[in-house]
Amino acid sequence: MSTPIVGLIMGVIFGASLVLTGLTNPDKIIGALRLKDFYAIRIVVVFLLVSMLGTLILDLFGAANFSIKPAVILTVLIGGALLGTGLGLTGFSPATGLASAASGRVDALVTVIGMIFGAHVYILIYPSIVIPLEKILNFGSVTLPEITGTSATLWIVPIFAVGSLILFITRSREPRYDEHRIKAGNSGINPAFPVPLGSISISGEKGLPLKSECLKAACVFRRWKNLLFLVLLLCLLLLQGTFWLVSTGQVEIAENTNTGMTVVLDADQAAAPAKESPSPWLFGFDMTFERLTSIVRITNIIIVLTSVLYVLILYFGMGVSFKGELGGLSHMCGALYMALIIFVLLLPWRNFFGPIAMGATYTPGELASWCTTDISDTLGMVLFYLRFTGYWALVMLLLLLAQWRSFRWAKAILR
Amino acid sequence: MEKSNNRTPPLPWWAAGILLGLVQVLAIALVKPMGVSKQFVVADAKVLEHVAPEYSDNHPLLSDEQYKKFGYGWWFNIGIVLGAFLAALHLRVWKVRTVSAWWKRNHDAPVLLRLIAGFCGGVLLLLGARFAYGCITEHFIGGWTQLSLSAIPFTITLFGFGMLVAYLVYPKAPNRFRREE
Repeated sequence: MSTPIVGLIMGVIFGASLVLTGLTNPDKIIGALRLKDFYAIRIVVVFLLVSMLGTLILDLFGAANFSIKPAVILTVLIGGALLGTGLGLTGFSPATGLASAASGRVDALVTVIGMIFGAHVYILIYPSIVIPLEKILNFGSVTLPEITGTSATLWIVPIFAVGSLILFITRSREPRYDEHRIKAGNSGINPAFPVPLGSISISGEKGLPLKSECLKAACVFRRWKNLLFLVLLLCLLLLQGTFWLVSTGQVEIAENTNTGMTVVLDADQAAAPAKESPSPWLFGFDMTFERLTSIVRITNIIIVLTSVLYVLILYFGMGVSFKGELGGLSHMCGALYMALIIFVLLLPWRNFFGPIAMGATYTPGELASWCTTDISDTLGMVLFYLRFTGYWALVMLLLLLAQWRSFRWAKAILR
Repeated sequence: MEKSNNRTPPLPWWAAGILLGLVQVLAIALVKPMGVSKQFVVADAKVLEHVAPEYSDNHPLLSDEQYKKFGYGWWFNIGIVLGAFLAALHLRVWKVRTVSAWWKRNHDAPVLLRLIAGFCGGVLLLLGARFAYGCITEHFIGGWTQLSLSAIPFTITLFGFGMLVAYLVYPKAPNRFRREE
């Protein structure tokens, strides 16, 4: 696919996105390097995480074209230093310099001319300087998983954690959108409209601080609500993924499953779904049923606790918007109602009432017993998928609806 | 001059990051991670091939086949220029500018000095990019995307020197970065 026309199209897309994202502005880059303006940092972090995740997914399908750079530590160190110096001096990287020159910056154009000269210098010094240096500390084109002998996931998780941490740290310095709205709302309301929303009980000097306090509290609640929603969503997805891993036989169920529930497995039944268990796209991470068991257990705990917190947050959010007369109560009531249903559905009722009642979460033992019993008839099949996927989809739908309603609430009160 | 451009970035940060990430994923799916800097060497190699053919034939780098033809990468760079031009026209931000706000604040806007600094920076940029086998897009983003070992030393010196030099060259922040905006 490396034809000129594909290159041209990709270049047009990339150049246009560089301008669209504003990275062509050297002030953004310098501001980022001086830690004054976090816009570029946050873009680059998201850029990195998204492309990493996308590459991971591509790799699952075997569609990723890698081009690993040789790890010649010394030249890479020197190169990084030179590149950093140039970046700090001009505020352009080679790609943004090109794009910036095309958007009318004369200094970027001069930088591009400088880069052509730089290429010439590189050609001139290549035989005498670069070739000897390349022989020192040359590890070849290796990746971190290859060198450490671990799976790629083990590397990606901490990188994601670091990226999220950077996003979290840089978040607080930015003036928040909501706070702007609150401030704008206050300054707008204070002189011109003494009584907001024609309120009855709260009025004058006492009412306004309360209202703005309630708005701030609602912002905090909204933030936590969104975080909890994300956690809940991820856990539910993880749980469903686990189910599919087991039910499609990617992970075989071990014979001696001590999964808490009374699972009696016949030896030949357990041996039946034995395929090559560590599937290729888990990056050699040896996924056994024991590990899945612990994952499912931890996920269950997180799900139940998070759903409790989610309900409570929605409840308090409703209380705050009621007290501060912020509006959006109908949305919040709907969201709270749905969150309560989610909570009820998610509880592991099976542990209390036995097999007649069950929650959307499942214990590893339950999964093992369902998956190992031989289901041949259609009804059993339907029941099987209804129990694990249908139930889950119902909870997911409710969760999305609750989030949608509470989003409407947030929109209504922050209007 | 740059005010409107600087204050309101065309996209919110998350959308911008996702957009760039998706472009990178597309590039990895179609060809390979995006890279820019090598084509500058290719351009120079082309010129040298005409000016000094025997030098370029004996040169260990220029005699390599991949520096001899204008292929995917070359057109990728042309595309960047074209796409950026069109996008700037579309967003109505195309404007002849010579100095940035940071430069103006710290150096009282002598244009010539800015252009000289830009030129020197450009030389260093490309020299560094080729020493490290790739520019920022290629080596920092692409390197971490592929979890290559070389991304670690590159990141350390890139940001170490970048922040140091930016601190030395631009010690004072322009007013618009203060909070009261």
